[in-house]
Amino acid sequence: MKYMTEQLLEGLHNQAEKQISNAITDWQQLPYEMLIASPGPGRWSAIQCLEHLNSYGRYYLPQIKKAIQANQDKSPSQFFKSGWLGNYFYSLMNLPNDGKPARKMQSPKNHQPAPFPDPSVVMHEFISQLETLGMLIMQAKNVDLNQVKVPISIATFIKLKLGDVFLFYTAHISRHMAQAERALGTWREQEYPMLKNMVKTA
Amino acid sequence: MDERDQLRNFIAAVYPLPLMDMEAFLSIWEPFQAKRKTLLSREGEKERHLYFVIEGIQRVFYTGDDERDATIVFTYPPSFSGVADSFLTQTSSRFSCETLTPSSFLKTDFNQLDGLMKVHHEIERMIRILTNHAFSGVLHRIVETQCFTAEEKFRSLFARSPHLLNLVPHKYIASYLGVDATNFSKMLAKIRI
Repeated sequence: MKYMTEQLLEGLHNQAEKQISNAITDWQQLPYEMLIASPGPGRWSAIQCLEHLNSYGRYYLPQIKKAIQANQDKSPSQFFKSGWLGNYFYSLMNLPNDGKPARKMQSPKNHQPAPFPDPSVVMHEFISQLETLGMLIMQAKNVDLNQVKVPISIATFIKLKLGDVFLFYTAHISRHMAQAERALGTWREQEYPMLKNMVKTA
Repeated sequence: MDERDQLRNFIAAVYPLPLMDMEAFLSIWEPFQAKRKTLLSREGEKERHLYFVIEGIQRVFYTGDDERDATIVFTYPPSFSGVADSFLTQTSSRFSCETLTPSSFLKTDFNQLDGLMKVHHEIERMIRILTNHAFSGVLHRIVETQCFTAEEKFRSLFARSPHLLNLVPHKYIASYLGVDATNFSKMLAKIRI
């Protein structure tokens, strides 16, 4: 795949903006009971989905930052061309239009969330990471997405182009935010109108 | 409504400037947009700009030695933004200012405003009255900080600016109130019941 760099970064930033706006205006407001409730046996609660994402952010965001800072001399190119491996990871993560994953994937053990993580700590970190992601996408306008490379979490000897890392990283966030939304779904129908009324009268 | 009209209405409510002075004052502003988490002014640098907020929420904050920061003030429409003391005194700032949501402003710089104030007595007077209000706000905030419990501070902020809760990450509100994120969540739960 070949992208216009400016459009790609603008699109990625818009996506990150939608994600953070959703987290702030909606999820951050929800009572903890909703966030920690599992939707069924063996299925992750909303807060577990976010903690899973946090565990990747802890690895990727500092790596991306470091790569951008170390490559300020590589000036931006008009086009970004994704590598075959990067494109493969992106296609694995990317959700079909209906928002449901085509297949289930097993998460690596070190990215499996604890059963009941502290919701306020997880939400705080999740939103902070999305803020950082938005800033890094803006900073990436100053470097070449083709030449800057980031080592991937499952095998740090493999390095992917920064453009590919942004693509699969944001797709991975969308994937699990959609999963978290499904986990909240049933609770919203029962509890949410009542909660909204409580907030209004406060 | 045109952006300059919003500024005109805001000023008119503070101090009714004569027509000529108002037109001169409005002529020095340019539209300016910033995405979320854009640093508008950095600690250690002189604040050259004054912003009038059309849309979005911003904060002025102090960064301590241990990288923990304290939110000093939130700004949102209709009001001015930027580091006011550094702007007025043209000395290096002890604080930083950043957007917390995508924001749009009218923006001017010190030289233009200072030039106008030298010529237009009425504009200088209007700026003084605005500064008086800001000064009064600061004293009020000191009382809150010294005498109010965390929960009272929270209720006071909630009464003044209820929309903040739904629009900015709660960590910034917690840092404004001087509580950690977990205690903030407990207060929020209590207030909602």
